[in-house]
Amino acid sequence: MERLLEVTDLSAGYGAVTVLRGVDIHLDAGESIGLFGPNGHGKTTLLKTISGLIRPTAGAIRFSGNDITKARPSNIVNAGLIHSPQGNTLFGDMQVHETLELASIAKRAKGGSRKNLKSVFELFPRLEERRTQKARTLSGGERQMLSIGCALMCVPKLLMLDEPTLGLSPRLKKELAAAVGDIAKSGVPLVVVEQDVEFLMALTDRLYMIEHGEVVREIDKANAPDHEEVMKLYFGEVSH
Amino acid sequence: MIDTLIATLVSGLVLGSLYALMASGLSVVWTTLGVFNFAHGALMMIGAFLAWTLVEPVGLPLPVGILCGALGAAALGIVIERLLVRPYYGNRNMLLITVMTTLAAMIIMEKGAQMIWGARLKQLPRLIDGEISIASATISAHEAVMILLAPLVLAAIWAFTVRTNIGRSLRAVGQNQDSAALIGINVPFAFALAFGLSAALAGLTGALLGSIRFITPAMGADPLTKAMIVVIFGGLGSLGATAGAAYLIGLIEAILVLWLGLYWTPFVLFLIMIVVLVFRPNGIFGGNQ
Ligand SMILES: Nc1ncnc2c1ncn2[C@@H]1O[C@H](COP(=O)(O)OP(=O)(O)OP(=O)(O)O)[C@@H](O)[C@H]1O
Ligand SMILES: [Mg+2]
Repeated sequence: MERLLEVTDLSAGYGAVTVLRGVDIHLDAGESIGLFGPNGHGKTTLLKTISGLIRPTAGAIRFSGNDITKARPSNIVNAGLIHSPQGNTLFGDMQVHETLELASIAKRAKGGSRKNLKSVFELFPRLEERRTQKARTLSGGERQMLSIGCALMCVPKLLMLDEPTLGLSPRLKKELAAAVGDIAKSGVPLVVVEQDVEFLMALTDRLYMIEHGEVVREIDKANAPDHEEVMKLYFGEVSH
Repeated sequence: MIDTLIATLVSGLVLGSLYALMASGLSVVWTTLGVFNFAHGALMMIGAFLAWTLVEPVGLPLPVGILCGALGAAALGIVIERLLVRPYYGNRNMLLITVMTTLAAMIIMEKGAQMIWGARLKQLPRLIDGEISIASATISAHEAVMILLAPLVLAAIWAFTVRTNIGRSLRAVGQNQDSAALIGINVPFAFALAFGLSAALAGLTGALLGSIRFITPAMGADPLTKAMIVVIFGGLGSLGATAGAAYLIGLIEAILVLWLGLYWTPFVLFLIMIVVLVFRPNGIFGGNQ
């Protein structure tokens, strides 16, 4: 089976600080994966490296049959690998509709811009109500919606979401989780980073647990469907 | 009395147009890259010399010369970005380093112009000959063209950065480079585009100014200083604020020249700016962020 994403022996960091140490993950066509693990252990760094914001110091990344290890972020977006970053503040002075329209600047997204904008507004009616509001004045939940909306405007072939429900009230969290579920159901494969393992189990087929910049465990839903068991693994690992 | 007033107003408008064209270019680079381009005045001078070379020795029509002056300056601006600004992206001291590198570019261009074109004063013909009388004040038709052109150019830049995705990408890159890259914006291209556009504006201004002032290697120094005052005075960033500040400063300068004479005008102008910045650190039109 063709692999949509294949990360091999990836190392990366910030200047002299190494964060990722030989990470191997992959995503087969037709599946979604989740990443979880304690705070500050490299999940965000992994996504940033995949999307080209950080240059890896070793290893390789292949997407949809092409080597993208050294590709520029804009080219990676144009290939369809889209990353909605954690706590995204986007562009403070830019209005909601401007931001969404701008997100279709990549060649792959240009043509369908109008149609995609309509479906983003269908998914998040709240964004349409606030279409002329500046991003700076949006609430945390609305920003998260705008960020995911931007990712959808790019027409993702694979969508990476970094903690899409971080810091949201339980009600908003449910709303966003439902929207992400809709995106998955529409056939877009996902890479989701979340602390909430239950949420991840419902959304994805396999989980990777990341600790100290390494994959320490891979959990297939078919083998470990019991979420309590996963939690046991999780906390067992964290509190050495 | 009324005559002097109208004459002052008109001369303030001409200065305001000049400053608006210069300052908007400076502001495009500032909002996209967070860099102050000290070579902006020298790029203006290059635009004037290029236009002069094509019009006088070569004999092309003036509009062609002006256009080529703007394009030539744009090309040079892109080269400056590539060689002297791009290597320092992501550097913590980028702002200070690029002050030095763009100052170096300014000196190289000024000395280069001196070597190529010599020190003899040059001047371009006017776009339109003749004079226009407004009430009892007269200005040259060429100055009238500048007064009309400046708001058009500003409106075009505004429309570009608000209505088109390429133009919006400049604003996006200026506000959040990582997020811009993640929605598919080619960040290095946006940087080059901002520098090219800004330099084109400088070149255009120089070629227009070359008909009413002498073209010399140092002709960009004073417009650069004024453009910097305008950009800071207006509150860094917004195009509308920059334009407003340009006309305000042009007018103040014209009034000061009438009232105090050329000698004291720069001094009082700076004094006004310092006082304004004490009370409104974000500029006269800037928000309180
Ligand atoms: N720009 C940076 N410069 C230096 N170190 C950084 C930078 N960004 C992150 N780090 C460090 O890299 C490590 C991994 O951070 P990362 O953001 O990848 O963790 P994470 O697993 O996503 O955490 P969280 O669950 O809190 O989002 C942390 O120790 C962090 O302090
Ligand atoms: Mg993170």
